[in-house]
Amino acid sequence: MEIKSMRFKANAEASLANVVLQGNLKNAKGKFVTKRAEAIKEIDDFEGTRDAAAAIRNKVIDNLDLWLERFETRAQETGATVLWAKDGAEVCRLVTEIARKHGVTKVTKSKSMLSEEAGLNQALEAAGIQPVETDLGEYILQVDNNEPPSHIIAPAVHKSLDDVADLFHKVHGTPRKTEIPALTREAREVLRGHFLSAEMGLSGGNFLVAETGSVALVTNEGNGRMVTTMPKVHVVITGIEKVIPTLEDLSTLMRLLPRSATGQSISNYFSILTGVKKPEEHDGPEHLYFVLVDSGRADVVGGEFHEMLRCIRCGACMNHCPVYQTIGGHAYGWVYPGPMGSVLTPLYAGIENSIDLPHAATLCNQCGVVCPVKIPLPDLLRKLREKQTDAGLRPLTERIGLRVWAWVAQRPALYGLGARVGARYLKWLAGEDKSIRLLPTAPEWTRGRDFPAPQGKTFRELYAARQNSAKGSA
Amino acid sequence: MANKRVGLFVTCLVDLMRPRIGFAALKLLEGAGCEVIVPDTQTCCGQPAWNSGDKGGAEALAKKAIAEFEGFDYIVVPSGSCGDHIRTEYQGMFADEPSWRDRATAMAARTYELTDFLATVLKVDSVPGDYEGTVTYHDSCSGLRSMGIKQQPRALLAKMKGVELKEMNGCEECCGFGGTFSVKFGEVSAAIAERKCDFIHASGAPTVVGGDLGCLLNIEGKLRRMGDDSTRVLHVAEVLAGDA
Amino acid sequence: MSSREDILGRVRAALHRNAGNAAVAREVMMAALANRTPGPQPAVACEPQALLERFRVKSEQASSTVEVVATDAEVPAAIAKYLAAMKLPTTAVVWASLVALDWAAAGLKVEARGARDADLVGITGCFCAVAETGTLMMTSSPDTPAAVSLLPETHIAVVRAARIVPYMEDAWNLARAALGSLPRAVNFISGPSRTGDIEQTIVLGAHGPYRVHLVIVED
Repeated sequence: MEIKSMRFKANAEASLANVVLQGNLKNAKGKFVTKRAEAIKEIDDFEGTRDAAAAIRNKVIDNLDLWLERFETRAQETGATVLWAKDGAEVCRLVTEIARKHGVTKVTKSKSMLSEEAGLNQALEAAGIQPVETDLGEYILQVDNNEPPSHIIAPAVHKSLDDVADLFHKVHGTPRKTEIPALTREAREVLRGHFLSAEMGLSGGNFLVAETGSVALVTNEGNGRMVTTMPKVHVVITGIEKVIPTLEDLSTLMRLLPRSATGQSISNYFSILTGVKKPEEHDGPEHLYFVLVDSGRADVVGGEFHEMLRCIRCGACMNHCPVYQTIGGHAYGWVYPGPMGSVLTPLYAGIENSIDLPHAATLCNQCGVVCPVKIPLPDLLRKLREKQTDAGLRPLTERIGLRVWAWVAQRPALYGLGARVGARYLKWLAGEDKSIRLLPTAPEWTRGRDFPAPQGKTFRELYAARQNSAKGSA
Repeated sequence: MANKRVGLFVTCLVDLMRPRIGFAALKLLEGAGCEVIVPDTQTCCGQPAWNSGDKGGAEALAKKAIAEFEGFDYIVVPSGSCGDHIRTEYQGMFADEPSWRDRATAMAARTYELTDFLATVLKVDSVPGDYEGTVTYHDSCSGLRSMGIKQQPRALLAKMKGVELKEMNGCEECCGFGGTFSVKFGEVSAAIAERKCDFIHASGAPTVVGGDLGCLLNIEGKLRRMGDDSTRVLHVAEVLAGDA
Repeated sequence: MSSREDILGRVRAALHRNAGNAAVAREVMMAALANRTPGPQPAVACEPQALLERFRVKSEQASSTVEVVATDAEVPAAIAKYLAAMKLPTTAVVWASLVALDWAAAGLKVEARGARDADLVGITGCFCAVAETGTLMMTSSPDTPAAVSLLPETHIAVVRAARIVPYMEDAWNLARAALGSLPRAVNFISGPSRTGDIEQTIVLGAHGPYRVHLVIVED
């Protein structure tokens, strides 16, 4: 997917100015947060479960080469084919080749963020193969001119009922429906035909189980089951970091993933798929392919950002992020929005292509405390800022400003003078008012709010005066 | 354990904008029997540099603060954000300089946010001030999530007969300040602040109290821009000291 | 160099892999694979009646409907009654493992085969059920096709009370013991299919069943 993260600030401001979007975001905000808070109460030892989940993910990531080889061997033993892709282009090439080999003309897809990373739909279309998104949210976006998702688990969360009603009326040529169940039924009927006629199903993978060589899929709509049950070919596209050891580990992670994502104790469907259909079976694919994708992940292994590889893509960090809640997902400009996206985008799509993202956070650590696998997201964002500074990627004025400020702050007399001048200047700006409407030294502050007036003198000078007068009177 | 020698780290923002918060902290600590020293060479803890990716500047300021404050029995800060920076981040900065790391670690163990120090270490029975009226409390992010500041300010406010605390919804949500974030993404920052102001208004309290001046300036600035000239925005130290 | 070698090579380099540390790490890996100790689990009361009750409550929270019968023989009549009450068709596709019940006596017409798009009612058993979350565990096989619980608008599952286990981990142990390796598809089902993709409003019946009815057999 084309990266537009360099336009973050302009995109964010456009989101703020978009009244419809602001309404939709406000509507969405509370639901995820409230439901998660309720759902985690069912876990007696929530912190212990988070620790266990983080340990499971670390166990594999710390020796990822061995676990990948193990998974590959087990998957091959079940009759699956395991392929490897260095980047998005290779994902597109491999999937297209698989499709051609099996004479595929239509692919039904359940949600795969890696497919978004790779721009797979465009590649399939170019090869004359029809990709059909079947997750309702993804389907809505696909028929709306291939709009990108704005959330990793609720891709169309930025759209309102009215938006969808207009869209379906237009693209399906049906009478405009205004009830959500009716719109859902309409999509079901359209997509049912595709499920039954597609020769190939494509899914992501929430986890790869090394013990059994299986892929685990977490879904609610049943589209994940459809695309992995009805077509004769099933292709799984997942990142190389998705391996976990055992089915017991899978159960531990499942106590956290749906709760963190949608606030459900468990998703409606949780499918563990292993190998291919036996000749006497009525359903299931005859061919199963795994495409294990690098796309930047291998270079994160063993480095200062390796904790990010624990991520299980629940979306809790964005659901709880004050910035995401305010501007939505599109402003981030690539596949992954919110705090996890502001770490992943620089790592996978280039730190120089996403200058604003590591700074697009208040470091409030709401993301860190809700993350089910305890990724220290604010720390990682801060480290990325450090990398940007070291590489000279931040604007020159900012770098010089920081350097000068830190230099002065190490010189108490000079700093004291600067503070005294500053306090008086700000007081003068405010005049008789309680606050300043336009701050010439930091106009960005006063674009959306006032700057309160200072008292006019600094603590240090007032304190020194007090000490002196105490001495004088003594 | 009388006469604890306490180093008061005023913070750069209080120094520049609201000296009265520093004096309120002084009054509270002295009133509780501490010997309070305010090193006059102190400037900034270095958090803005650290959070902006300027490791060199952050380390230099950390060393400066350590040298100025490590001699005290306790280091007290009227800010969860600066306090957390000293207590949590300093140690991590000096992985390659063991002697500084050890000094940072030793100092971290004696560094407290003001209300935490009053409530947890000094276990004060009373506070000097009184305040007549209803207040709502904004929990600042670093204090709340990194230093565990939640009940301490509320327990201290509860010692004042005239104060009624009315919790707002979303009291733990970020106000959108975020240090340099507030001047890098001013509109986004202000939009987040607006939500916080809506929570404050919905609480019905005419006064909002908090423990971090950065958040308070952000909230006050947004309230004023929204045309609210009446809601008072106070640091918890001012309220407890009776200086509000 | 193949992409496989390229990717694994970079991972190995990043982890400073050598023969010595590989041997140690492999031992740790084999131990992790052999470890069957569950992680932290929420408390679930394990007496049979408590398990059944929890399974029922959790299933209902997941929008399934539940009834309990005493014996297998009562199943067809119970299902017929449910279908009549819901004004649903009396023809169904059924798992082969259940075809021997006397469906005709209850006025139902069932066929044991794979599911088709036109099937409106699918009747299945389940491998076992998990009380913690109110979840059915379905294992695919020629006699237990996966699509029967997926394509029809109504899914009815027969659950043996004795097969209700406290946790998902118990279900894995049952599967390991009974099947050796995992079948092609293990599907855990918790209620009818649903979506919240339009304004986060939950709607039942996204792509799979609109309703799930559970008949628990106590005997």
